[in-house]
Amino acid sequence: MEKKKNNEQLSRRNFIRNVAFGTGATLLLTNFSLIRWHVDEKGILRGIVVDYDKCTGCRTCETACSASNHRVWINGEEMEGLGNPWLANIRVHRFNPDVDVPNVCQICPDAPCIAACPVEPDPDTGRRALYRDEEHLTIKCDTDRCIGCGNCAITCATERSGVIIPNPETGSPERMCTLCSGDPHCVKACPYGALSLVEVDTNREFFGMSPKEIARELMKKYYKTGKEEVSHG
Amino acid sequence: MDKLYGYSGSILEVNLTSGTIEKVQVSPSDAKNFVGGRGLGMKILWDKVKEPGMDPFAPENPIMFMPGPMTGYPFASSSRTCVVTKSPRTSPVHSTYKHASTISYSNMGGFIGPEIRFAGYDGIVVTGKASKPVYIKIENENVEICDASEFWGMGTDAFDIKFNESLGDNRFQSCYIGPAGENMVPMACVLNTAARAAGRGGTGAVMGSKNLKAIAVKGTGFPEVADHKKYLELLDKTRTKFRDDPMTAWWRANGTAGALTMMSEASREAVKNFREGTFTDVSLIGAEAARAKAWQRDFACYACPLACKKSGIVQKGLFAGLVHDGPEYETGTMYGSNLLVNNLEGLLKEIYAGDDYGLDIISTGNAIGFLMEAFEKGYIDKDFVDGIDLTWGNVRAVLDMLQKITYREGIGDLAGHGVKKLAEKVGRDSHKFAIHVKGHELAAHNVHVNPGMGISYVSSNRGACHLNGANPQEQNSTAMVDSLGVCLFAAGSYGENGLEDIITMITGHSYPTEEYMKTGERVFNLEKMFNYREGFTREDDVLPDRFFEEPLTMGTGKGAVLDRKEFEELLTTYYTDRGWDPVTSRPTDEKLESLGLEFTME
Repeated sequence: MEKKKNNEQLSRRNFIRNVAFGTGATLLLTNFSLIRWHVDEKGILRGIVVDYDKCTGCRTCETACSASNHRVWINGEEMEGLGNPWLANIRVHRFNPDVDVPNVCQICPDAPCIAACPVEPDPDTGRRALYRDEEHLTIKCDTDRCIGCGNCAITCATERSGVIIPNPETGSPERMCTLCSGDPHCVKACPYGALSLVEVDTNREFFGMSPKEIARELMKKYYKTGKEEVSHG
Repeated sequence: MDKLYGYSGSILEVNLTSGTIEKVQVSPSDAKNFVGGRGLGMKILWDKVKEPGMDPFAPENPIMFMPGPMTGYPFASSSRTCVVTKSPRTSPVHSTYKHASTISYSNMGGFIGPEIRFAGYDGIVVTGKASKPVYIKIENENVEICDASEFWGMGTDAFDIKFNESLGDNRFQSCYIGPAGENMVPMACVLNTAARAAGRGGTGAVMGSKNLKAIAVKGTGFPEVADHKKYLELLDKTRTKFRDDPMTAWWRANGTAGALTMMSEASREAVKNFREGTFTDVSLIGAEAARAKAWQRDFACYACPLACKKSGIVQKGLFAGLVHDGPEYETGTMYGSNLLVNNLEGLLKEIYAGDDYGLDIISTGNAIGFLMEAFEKGYIDKDFVDGIDLTWGNVRAVLDMLQKITYREGIGDLAGHGVKKLAEKVGRDSHKFAIHVKGHELAAHNVHVNPGMGISYVSSNRGACHLNGANPQEQNSTAMVDSLGVCLFAAGSYGENGLEDIITMITGHSYPTEEYMKTGERVFNLEKMFNYREGFTREDDVLPDRFFEEPLTMGTGKGAVLDRKEFEELLTTYYTDRGWDPVTSRPTDEKLESLGLEFTME
């Protein structure tokens, strides 16, 4: 009960703060190339990149992601789940005129989501509730320590692509890419070869942009006649 | 009761007159015997429509949105939803009932079928009539009937954008009607994603008759399968199979539009109101032209590796800037070759208009083709068609006609009722080139050189249908595909026992090939009994005279014409193979008993 109250206070205060900051931060950070990642120290940072020219919006990635990350036990044996797309970390956003934008955690080098976590770092591990996993360098949440304030989700939405969604019951962040322990199933399952696992590059086109922003750019690219606006009839 | 694997076990029933919303259990025996989709929809229709002759626009006529037990599982293109209702398009030669009509079923891909399943339903059944425009909003258990007044009158493209904005969450999937459906134009269809249509059989008109603009659905669940381990194994196997199948590349390259030039060369296309099978200008509107001049991107339905939908933009001319998908084989033929339209940009504008109004492009292409022919022959004058210059290939005239049909103005009102009604009005021998079976127009496949397609058309339970199949085996198999919720285009690549193994794994009921085919046969025969009860008999299973009297004059099929006697013999063989009485076309009692359809015997 106390936790919940605490959450609400934190949430409200930080929401205001983050929205204010977030907008500013987006403007400041449109040049993502300023973000640094120390490869020598931490290893190569990898993430999923979408080739929008190849994506057809079929959502096979959602089902593969869900099956891999929501495993089940059947007769004492652990195996992949059914692939319920609702549970997927990668999510395809559909737009009209026809454009589909799979949205997946960018595993940002500067991880503004972690920076926004108000939980004090653990003295032993240095981890906040949201932290970068040492093995695969993905973003993980320690649900035992998470207070469910939603700051990470707000920050992700305002400063990056908005992939983090708080669990509706606990408020803990979900949908951060796990890279399926280094072997991402979405990449393997995509029938169109639209997904790949590559080194994170903040200079890459569309890095850190929301699906809506990306869709706007893609519409300009694909449906262009020289006229400014596309027509609907 | 045994757990129903592969099903949520519930049908959502909404009555728009009373506002009642109920979850009704699916009977396990119905699930086993009629599967889902088209089959289960037919069974529910039979249970709900107890007497023949019901007006399709009566509030009691249920309109059903039926995914199948495969829908939503990520097997190749398990994306389909079958819309099932009593048809506003068909009528028999003789019947004691004024409103006699067949069943109508029409299925669409996209994403709404899977979402209905994720929300926890094996189907949605809507009856009644709302007092004002409404939409149904479904989020798992939460179902609301909402005011749709602000959306009424909107074309499907603008609606798709505005509706999604108003729902505020792009995880919602929806299907809806355009102005044609609202105005109860019998040729209206149901669409989703502003392009994918349950095009045939007037389903949109029935939706409009209920003041139902749209259904929006979002869900978080997923029904369990009977054998999870096998599921993963078959999923893997299917993905590999489709990756290696050469057909996958064929679909991806050009979608169905790839068939335009191929079919024209084989004299199998519908050209000039089905007078010819070859269109000399087909290369101007075919896949290569579209790829060069318009197409930008490929799109796929849920979990589909085929991506047969091609979207693009008109680059030049009067319609520059228009963004839409197509042409496909059907839309390119019916609004292109069949009307001698050889202008790709104009064709794309027509297709956009047809989709935006929410019209069945196959049937409207027929109605306009019929009028163009009657106009050319001098059977009708310009006054008859409200001053429109209905000469072959005139894009402006086609667009004017589509608008008139949608808003039921002047000639448009009659045209929207189909070529059968048009021929009654035009008179003389115009019925010979009114291209329909039972009032439902033929699709883009000509039959002069293809008697098997003729059988498919005449024996289809929804009126003329090109997907029906040329013989009982094909038809039973298609009935199963439509009931499983998988796409017919993808079904061909599943291989021997592919679908049988999957449905067995999902449901836990064994469907060996014999049982699988028998189940399709059961669905087909129940549809047939519904139609027979309405008064449809062998005399309704006829092709237009054109195909027997006017040989093709050009192309590889030059000179081809069907022989009436041979075709009738072919049909007799068909009935005999089906175990139906060749005189009346009624399934025999023995056949019905063997299929467990005793309840249809009066």
